[in-house]
Amino acid sequence: MTDLDRKIKAKIPGPDTGIEIRHTLCDICSPGMHCGINAYIRDGKVIKIEGTDGHPSNDGKLCTKGLSNRQYIYRKDRVKTPLLRTGPRGEGKFEPISWEDAYTKIAENLNQAKERYGAESVVFYSGYSKWYRQMLRRFAYAFGSPNYGCESSACYTAAFMAWKTAAGDQGGPDMDHSDLFLGWAFNPFYSSYRGAEYAMKRKEEGLKFLIVDTRKTPASEKLADLFLQPRSGTDGALAHAIANVLIKNGWIDLPYIRKYVYGFDEYAEYVSHFHENNIEEITGVPYHKVAAAAKLIHDNPRMSCNESSAPLCHHRNGFQNYRAVMALLAITGNFDRKGGQFLTPHSYMHVPCGFKTREEEYQYETCPKHAKLPVGAERFPLWQYLEGEMQAMDLSRQILEKKPYPIKAVFALGFNARMFPDSGKMLHALTELDFFVDTDLFLTDTARYADLVLPACSSFERGEFKPYPGGLAWYTSPVMEPLGESKSDVQILTELANYMDLPDEQLKEGYESFIQKYILDDYNIRTEKLKEASLPVKIAEVSPPADYASLDNGLLTPTGKFELKSKIIEDHPEWGLDALPTYLSPLDDADREAYPFTLTSGSRIPNALHSRIHAVPNNRSLRPYPTADMNRTDCERLAVTEGDDIIISTLRGSITVKVHPTSTVPEKLVNLYHGYTEADVNSLMDADHLDPYSGFPAYRSTRCAVTRRA
Amino acid sequence: MKKYLYFDKLKCSACGACALACMDQNDIDTEAGQQPFRHTFTLEDKAGSLSFYSVSCMHCADAPCVIGCPCGCLTKDAETGFTLYNTSNCIGCHSCAMACPYGIPSFGEDGKMKKCDACIERQKAGMLPACIKVCPTGALTLLTEEEFVKRQEKERAKKAEEMLREYSKTDYR
Repeated sequence: MTDLDRKIKAKIPGPDTGIEIRHTLCDICSPGMHCGINAYIRDGKVIKIEGTDGHPSNDGKLCTKGLSNRQYIYRKDRVKTPLLRTGPRGEGKFEPISWEDAYTKIAENLNQAKERYGAESVVFYSGYSKWYRQMLRRFAYAFGSPNYGCESSACYTAAFMAWKTAAGDQGGPDMDHSDLFLGWAFNPFYSSYRGAEYAMKRKEEGLKFLIVDTRKTPASEKLADLFLQPRSGTDGALAHAIANVLIKNGWIDLPYIRKYVYGFDEYAEYVSHFHENNIEEITGVPYHKVAAAAKLIHDNPRMSCNESSAPLCHHRNGFQNYRAVMALLAITGNFDRKGGQFLTPHSYMHVPCGFKTREEEYQYETCPKHAKLPVGAERFPLWQYLEGEMQAMDLSRQILEKKPYPIKAVFALGFNARMFPDSGKMLHALTELDFFVDTDLFLTDTARYADLVLPACSSFERGEFKPYPGGLAWYTSPVMEPLGESKSDVQILTELANYMDLPDEQLKEGYESFIQKYILDDYNIRTEKLKEASLPVKIAEVSPPADYASLDNGLLTPTGKFELKSKIIEDHPEWGLDALPTYLSPLDDADREAYPFTLTSGSRIPNALHSRIHAVPNNRSLRPYPTADMNRTDCERLAVTEGDDIIISTLRGSITVKVHPTSTVPEKLVNLYHGYTEADVNSLMDADHLDPYSGFPAYRSTRCAVTRRA
Repeated sequence: MKKYLYFDKLKCSACGACALACMDQNDIDTEAGQQPFRHTFTLEDKAGSLSFYSVSCMHCADAPCVIGCPCGCLTKDAETGFTLYNTSNCIGCHSCAMACPYGIPSFGEDGKMKKCDACIERQKAGMLPACIKVCPTGALTLLTEEEFVKRQEKERAKKAEEMLREYSKTDYR
């Protein structure tokens, strides 16, 4: 082997090896991360990836999920051309057609549905990712439909709603200056991984950690000064009990409360019902640990808390539980002060950029004024009041029941029916549609139900505008040609808007025009210039928040204060919702004798993200089989050991998976990761076991039965 | 300059990023059942405490595999101290694997030995080994001799402190 051969084998970049490094971003997980990637390119092909040094999200590192990118792009089931269904829905028989023919069919079918049943009968839906969502929303509105919706009907939005209800906008921790970090459902080792290194650094510097989680995790093991392990979905009761101790001992900030907090007296009365004599029974946490948590909070006055996009909210009482945890910040005077929680408004696609944009103007200025209410609006009035978009958890019901009006067609980007509780019901609903278009990189289980599948390309094959916290932004460029005839999501939307000649000139001008006019013009920057940057650059100055500035100016809540008791809810008694963060048992009404276990799903594992990288061979090799965690004692009772097959059942059906006996989960809990075709945990969930406040599904607390497979 | 692949158990969560980086760097064909040169795993003791590990070739100072190989394939790199190999003469006898206390050497379809070479070509080009470059929590680092010695001293001091603390808690009456 020559020196050059060795260098080529080792993928050393340089003119001699013909290997070039180009910069792009990872779009596997949420917009809060989107790490920089060095793509090693040889002969137009990606041959290796690693993190980009100096990138604000990852500075050269990458996580287990991000490392899937190379095999993800080249997954065997990539869709390369538009496909027209030729067999029954779900079978997966398609024939390639041209883009021109695809656009013709889409235009014909969507317009036909509009003529016959009204524009609202057409739903515009986005799964993961999110980067094109502003355009999809505007597309729906240009078409005349109020029914834009997305996977955020089950992720993050409930937390955002809790923040909006209490403080008018999203808050975030000022962990740099805290004495104590309240890590409630916090495991950065397996999600938002850069937080793990930072948390360990802060721990070395003396930051204390109060970790609350149903499961033992790397975070509870490595970070916790005190670890509380409540039963799944009982977080609200636990937070109330801690609050009760704080209040009884006078460990609260009364002057702050009097000045800045609304509803304290009623809240204090309410939480007094969670105490020494009942908290262990409700949550499983012994009272002495509740008292110790309150003492820890008292001893370390500056406390911040993590944001939890999913785990806290995935219960039928999730929204209220979230508010209950947030209340601890308010009563200790830790909202809107250094070392506590400051408002961190998301100014562009779920990113707290630190600078303002006119994203909302772009999204809402063409919203149809006299359209019917979107799907889910009647059932989830608080969601409708705060979000004003489709609550997609109600979509399968409305398709099947046709009430309050029929849904006849779905135009989707990345629809994943397995994301929905009772995924079987959603797949069935899709067969009832007159027309279903899905756009995806892969011929997924859901795409197989589509009449037309459009091929999307990956973040490596497109360019996109991407801001980061701290006033940073860049505009990526493709690092490789799109595979086959695949196109970027925004190109598809622009071309289709023009083909259908929708009455929205701005939409038809496309994505770059949106970024230029609504974002960059305000900072005197040209997109072309931003494309030249090899790393995110500063486009706006960001000033650090000042203590109590938001509170002194008045929050965007009806009272201008932090609301322990929601004025919005109080003013709408017809909704039948509680203005206080009341606590309700999380579990469904299935027979507790027949279904004695609690099924919880969605908590992260390192090597997967939802369903999207289950089919990536390297990632899958780290954990080849769908495997449920169960407590060792339960496993002994069932006479199962590591790797044995168990059957998990609910009223909806059953799945067979392997079992991992462990004491990281409490007794009577079954923890299983989601998105597996062969063992779809969401097929066991109840489509109606939803949070009445947010519409969020109770992925994390559903009664089930477990048996050993004979 | 002598170098060390240093593993800090306290920072590791066995997430597997290092193993994936190894697969990506070395084009490990996992679909064909091939294994990367680095593995991660979590151990749970009877009390439920978790420990996290990332393991590859230890690049032993006095490497038994080097002595075990009858064909002289394995060598200690004089400059860096890593255990390197050239399998032109490998006869696939598995002596190295039997000599290795960690069972590190594996064998490809051609029957020849393969293992971690600390991404020596990348190091020569001024780059970090793939697993170290990627490690999200900083559990894996590449240390110089001087850094390594300092690190070990720090670890020893920490351990002594912990033992002292335990000792002072124990009631020997």
